[in-house]
Amino acid sequence: MTNTPATSSAVLLKIEDQVATLTINRPDARNAMSVEILDAMHDAVDEIKDSATSVLVITGAGRAFCAGMDLKAVLIELSGDAGMGERLLTRLAELTLKIRGLPQVTVASVNGAAVGGGCGLTCVCDVTISHADAKLGFPEVDLGICPAVIAPWVVKKLGAGIARRTMLMGGIMSGDQAYEIGLVDQLAPNRDALASLTNDVAQRLASGGPKALSATKRLLNELDGSFDESLVLKGAKLSASVLSTPEAQAALASRMKR
Amino acid sequence: MIETREESGVLIIELARADKRNAMLPEMLDALYSAITSKDDVLAITLIGQGKTFCAGFDLKACTKDTGGDTMRELLTGLSRCVCAFRAHTAPVVLGVHGAAVAGGCALLGGADIVVADRNAKLGYPVVKIGVSPAVSSPFMLASMRPGIVRTRLLDTDLIDGEHAYKLGMVHELCDAPSDVHDRALEIAKSIASKPGSGCRETKLWLNEVCAVSDERANAGLNASLELTGNDEERERLASLWGES
Repeated sequence: MTNTPATSSAVLLKIEDQVATLTINRPDARNAMSVEILDAMHDAVDEIKDSATSVLVITGAGRAFCAGMDLKAVLIELSGDAGMGERLLTRLAELTLKIRGLPQVTVASVNGAAVGGGCGLTCVCDVTISHADAKLGFPEVDLGICPAVIAPWVVKKLGAGIARRTMLMGGIMSGDQAYEIGLVDQLAPNRDALASLTNDVAQRLASGGPKALSATKRLLNELDGSFDESLVLKGAKLSASVLSTPEAQAALASRMKR
Repeated sequence: MIETREESGVLIIELARADKRNAMLPEMLDALYSAITSKDDVLAITLIGQGKTFCAGFDLKACTKDTGGDTMRELLTGLSRCVCAFRAHTAPVVLGVHGAAVAGGCALLGGADIVVADRNAKLGYPVVKIGVSPAVSSPFMLASMRPGIVRTRLLDTDLIDGEHAYKLGMVHELCDAPSDVHDRALEIAKSIASKPGSGCRETKLWLNEVCAVSDERANAGLNASLELTGNDEERERLASLWGES
């Protein structure tokens, strides 16, 4: 049975039997996370938490999964709002904690670019699926900023050693490379094959007992320290602090002019 | 025994005892510690070894001559101090392993943020066979690798090649030839040093906090290794290396 709950146009939410699908819907901005997007994702995740589903798939509309934070919003000379960076990053931190705490098993279906906070979002999910040609990575340091807000999730996903290498070197990698280091768990050969693979994985997960799935996920969250809210919120403050420095703002402005 | 220079914001530290495969002496580790801590304004650090191999570990001849175990104690303490100093430095550390990183030489990986090695480099901790505990390395390995892998690597005396170490996450990037390792390590360090602002520095310090190796844990590892030092098993096994009994 398909049910399309009432949500804002910033995200699309579809519930089909045991599987909910949340689509970030800002394709003209590569699904970059604005206040509107983050608010809509919070609302959608609240709705999913209380639904009779056992799997949540998160994906992006159009060619990208999520390009990360909305750089126009955090560039002070454009937005005129010096506090926007911290508000967005705190909202993102709260969203990651909320998604991690869901009783549903979460699947990131990375249809295209997953960059910075967008790539961090994939690390919060329990399973990440992508395709060989997708682009993933953490280029924050290339812009003089610090991915602290998502670092705890990246460390949990990759292990600290590979997380250090990946976040300190910056840059972007292909879906193939992301699969090789464990950032992606299942890889479709190309973009066209992603939907079918995502459906197969989601149905397989949904075939498990919902109570067994949520109990297992909860234990894994306890074991790996996922409920340490203070660490993630402290990371958001650090990211915001670095983001507001003149050096970082200049690097962002330079990037925006390209 | 240690040579340093700076290029484009990168502090390049070279282990310079090539005729002994860069085997470490206490005074060499003192010099390494001074090199790391004397420069707090660099943007990246590269550690590489001169000659045919990165580092063969402790100078076991020196340890064998000192039957009281003081040399081994100084080496273990100096090694732990250097690894902690690399970790604490604000600049990301890129380590280039060509040829071999064995025992104490492999333990230096614990202080690195990024490790480059050649595919056929030999890596491992074969020290229990000489009666030495690699416990000193365990807190740093556990902070960067999966616990199951750490157990196997510290207890099994086999050496593994660079390709295998890459699959286990001990090494983060592979070069086809040993001769490519230094250039690639320096290239990565220069790339980090060229990035704008304080993003890299703050990211490293934050990662240190997220995956912390507390002083207490580092000291516990060191003390576990020190407690065994100078005992009969170690003395006999070290002596047998040189055909003495």
